[in-house]
Amino acid sequence: MNDHLKLSDEEIVEIVRTKDREVYAEIIKRYQKKLLRYASYIMGDEEKAADVVQESFIKAYVNLNGFDEKKKFSSWMYRIVHNEAMNLVGKHKKQQGFDEATDYDSGINLEDDLIKKELIRHTQQCLKRMPILYREPLSLFFLEEKSYEEISDILRIPIGTVGTRVNRAKIIMKKICQT
Amino acid sequence: MSNIKKASSVNFEKTIMEKVKSNEISMKPRWYFIVGSFSMIGGLIGLCIGVIFLINLTLFLLRQHGPMGQWRLELMLNSFPIWVPILAIAGIALGIWMLKKYDFSYKKHFWFIIAGCIISIFMTASLLDYVGFDDLWFKQGPMRRFYQQIENQNDPLFKEQGRGQMRNRQ
Repeated sequence: MNDHLKLSDEEIVEIVRTKDREVYAEIIKRYQKKLLRYASYIMGDEEKAADVVQESFIKAYVNLNGFDEKKKFSSWMYRIVHNEAMNLVGKHKKQQGFDEATDYDSGINLEDDLIKKELIRHTQQCLKRMPILYREPLSLFFLEEKSYEEISDILRIPIGTVGTRVNRAKIIMKKICQT
Repeated sequence: MSNIKKASSVNFEKTIMEKVKSNEISMKPRWYFIVGSFSMIGGLIGLCIGVIFLINLTLFLLRQHGPMGQWRLELMLNSFPIWVPILAIAGIALGIWMLKKYDFSYKKHFWFIIAGCIISIFMTASLLDYVGFDDLWFKQGPMRRFYQQIENQNDPLFKEQGRGQMRNRQ
């Protein structure tokens, strides 16, 4: 299994598809924390986020032969999580209180740096109060460190729109965080 | 225990790999996606041809029935097979939905793609009308019967006189 550590995601996917399906565990290992974090930004609820991620891993496995190896696997995976989360958000729209000032304690270790951790925690609290339209590109850009092109692939919006949304999100964020 | 801790403790690897090993979940075969992709392309091309045909038919019928002057317009409203343009609009809507499914659609401004498609469909249909393709089909070819039926189905003269006498009407 250690041999797979050096391989790219796309190479692992190819092994899963053609040789050994159990190598899919490596994909789960690589992505579970990132995806859980991302789903949490969208859902604002870790339990629902966990459901989304689990369902996404299952869907990704079932549709693995539909993945185009010329593209980036991470964008494909994030896209699945995005779709799953959006489905759930649609279902629970009435129940979900985006503007609720609930205690949001992320226990996920993002960086070793304590200051950055605190900053991220504060950002998450502000993010939760932001409309989902802006919350997603902003979290992908700043917290997941995705490029505009990757965000465009994940959200399926033009790169220009990604830029516009990120910029608007920064303004909204500033307003929210300062109040 | 907070929600966070509960979620973090979920062992995705164990849960999912158990399902994989027990064949509870399995990968869809590659041909499934290939067939899906080809059907999508074929469907879109077929839909475009269908819409061009329906718009061309609408233009042909408009030329035959009006609208020119009030009485022509009234006659047209009474006898025009309205399902033809409705079907064409529905076809365009379905085509837009299908286009949205493609990877390239979000990389460019989607409204430009839609506008480009609609303009090219209308231009092709108008060109076919201009060169008299529909007139040719009205008189001969495999679509003759269909064209004549559409053209005459609501014509009161046609109903009264019957099909045989229609040819001597003018």
